[in-house]
Amino acid sequence: MAETIEALERRIDELRVAVREAVLAGDRTLAGQRRSALRSAEQAWEDALDEVAPAGAAGAGPSAQAGPAEPPESSALPGSLLPLREQVYEALSLLQVPAAPKLIATVHEAFFGATFPTTRVTSLKRDEERSFRTAPFARPYYICAALSADYLAPSRGLLAVSTWPLELRMIGSLSPRADFLTAAIRVAEAIERIPEPPAAARRLLQRFAASVSGAISPGGGADPAAVSEAARAELTVHRDADAEARAAAAERARGLHHAERLFGTTMFRDRAGDAADDAAEAAGAEAKAAGE
Amino acid sequence: MTGRQPSATGQTALDRLRGRALPKNHDARTISALAANPGCTRRALMDAAGVDKQRIAAQAGFPAPFGQSRFAIVRGNAFEAQVKENGAAQLLVLLRDLLGLDVSEVGYADFNDVGGNSSAEVRHLHTRHALTAPDQPGRTLLDHPLLRLKVGGRPAYLEPDLIALRLDGTFHVIEIKSFAVIDGQADPAKVAAAAIQSAVYVRALRDLVSEAGGDPAAVSHDTILVAPRDFSSQPTAASLDVRRQLGVLDRQLSRIASIEDLISQYPPALTFDLDPDAQGRPRRPAAELAAAIGQVAANYAPECLATCELCFLCRDEAAGTTGALGKPVREDLGGIEYIAQARSLARGQVPAPEQAEIAALLLRAAQLREQVLGEAV
Repeated sequence: MAETIEALERRIDELRVAVREAVLAGDRTLAGQRRSALRSAEQAWEDALDEVAPAGAAGAGPSAQAGPAEPPESSALPGSLLPLREQVYEALSLLQVPAAPKLIATVHEAFFGATFPTTRVTSLKRDEERSFRTAPFARPYYICAALSADYLAPSRGLLAVSTWPLELRMIGSLSPRADFLTAAIRVAEAIERIPEPPAAARRLLQRFAASVSGAISPGGGADPAAVSEAARAELTVHRDADAEARAAAAERARGLHHAERLFGTTMFRDRAGDAADDAAEAAGAEAKAAGE
Repeated sequence: MTGRQPSATGQTALDRLRGRALPKNHDARTISALAANPGCTRRALMDAAGVDKQRIAAQAGFPAPFGQSRFAIVRGNAFEAQVKENGAAQLLVLLRDLLGLDVSEVGYADFNDVGGNSSAEVRHLHTRHALTAPDQPGRTLLDHPLLRLKVGGRPAYLEPDLIALRLDGTFHVIEIKSFAVIDGQADPAKVAAAAIQSAVYVRALRDLVSEAGGDPAAVSHDTILVAPRDFSSQPTAASLDVRRQLGVLDRQLSRIASIEDLISQYPPALTFDLDPDAQGRPRRPAAELAAAIGQVAANYAPECLATCELCFLCRDEAAGTTGALGKPVREDLGGIEYIAQARSLARGQVPAPEQAEIAALLLRAAQLREQVLGEAV
């Protein structure tokens, strides 16, 4: 079944390229035909994924227990990469702000019932970058980096989604706090939407509340409405200055090449660790090429 | 910083002491240790010369299993990461509650790398720029800035956990430690170690500010210690006045600068060179090396076991002296250097005139002991 999904993904990729070519050539009829073919392929992919979902989740179990000892190559295996990518996307879409792997995993556990080792998320970003550099814009979204406002380099440990506005992915000096407050609001709102929120979600809210002034109710608990209100109150203090810094950085980032705009500039990078990463990346790319 | 560097002749003498080995650079821990035992000439000399004390001790036959426990490092890092995660959310609440930090002060800047470059030089330049530039756009907390302190003419890079800016208009050094503060009380030895380490950062930060033409008083001597509260992993913060530690540190640093006076007391042939072969393996005979070390007086105290790589060697050497039993014992037995001497005085040996007072005390103590336990000293 996984092969079918793989085949569909390849077809979706090919169709995207075809659509792009048709649009660039100005052939609207052909573009329309290819677009509808793409949509049906995407629907087929969703259906195929739904079918294998329980099996896929069960398969992720043992590898999750293997933890850090797990070799990074295994995350590039077909099947395991896809669910993780989806999970990270789900959690980030709930938060709507760049977040660290730890927070992403906690949010996913709280609202979607499954967690994953944060070490795998780190290699996910590398996989995404590799995929983008091989075939740009072949996927509907990428898990990408948040960029530091000063050097437009990848901000340490933060992940974002490529389809977000550029401003959202810029990290100025006030942004960590502003994003934290926004995340608190989103989590509170998500809890309010659920009739019976799971215990893990309540715990997460409690942890957010502990770090927002005035968010803890007199009884010591965390009420979603109160947390949201307290976070909003503090957010008004930082919002304007933060938005200004982010907009200025985003303006500069628009001048970057596509890949750098998503994954950050690399011109200052010099670390041995990165060289090792690059080597691992190259090895991974070879393995993938061999697999295909 | 002027006035803290040995002269050229002093530096030559120090290079000779070190021999062919590369100088070992200081870090916050070794600089703190400098101030831990100010009376030790051996340590002062070796540290000024940048001697690798660990290798010297091993070659002289007293290897010390030295360094921080792996578990302590992991725990420390985990706690630090927890306090700093999500824009130091936990820390901000603490600073607001305990120190009245304004709600608008939430700026957070990461100095762990500069655009992906984590070399010490680049990070230090970035730190210096950020700390001394006239406009500091919303930067309240600086995460792992890289400071530099010159020790004996060589730069040592120092990495404070955090610097809080603009807390009542001044810089405050924040040190995050993983030892527990239980009921508002923590292990005094650990707090003392944290205080001296913070003092090292304050010194380096003041140097940086004054080099840029600023007022060193802009760096507060009140540092902030963040540690887990009680038996939880929830952080708590306390203010720590490090003025005394700064005084000790300044004295030690200036002592390294005037190290010439100290070196001139020893024969010019004195060296701690390990006579390495082509592969860098030391060949100098242990006895010869130990004799060279023995020429420089040490001031052993049991506390050295926690801070100095030469501790086992010095302890062996100090066996039989009153100092080996700890500073309080040595002070109580003022003027008596050896344990055997104290015992013979207690047994009733006629004391020298200057020892009459302490001899009487010892005699009385021995009598009491005999009455209670029924055995002689």
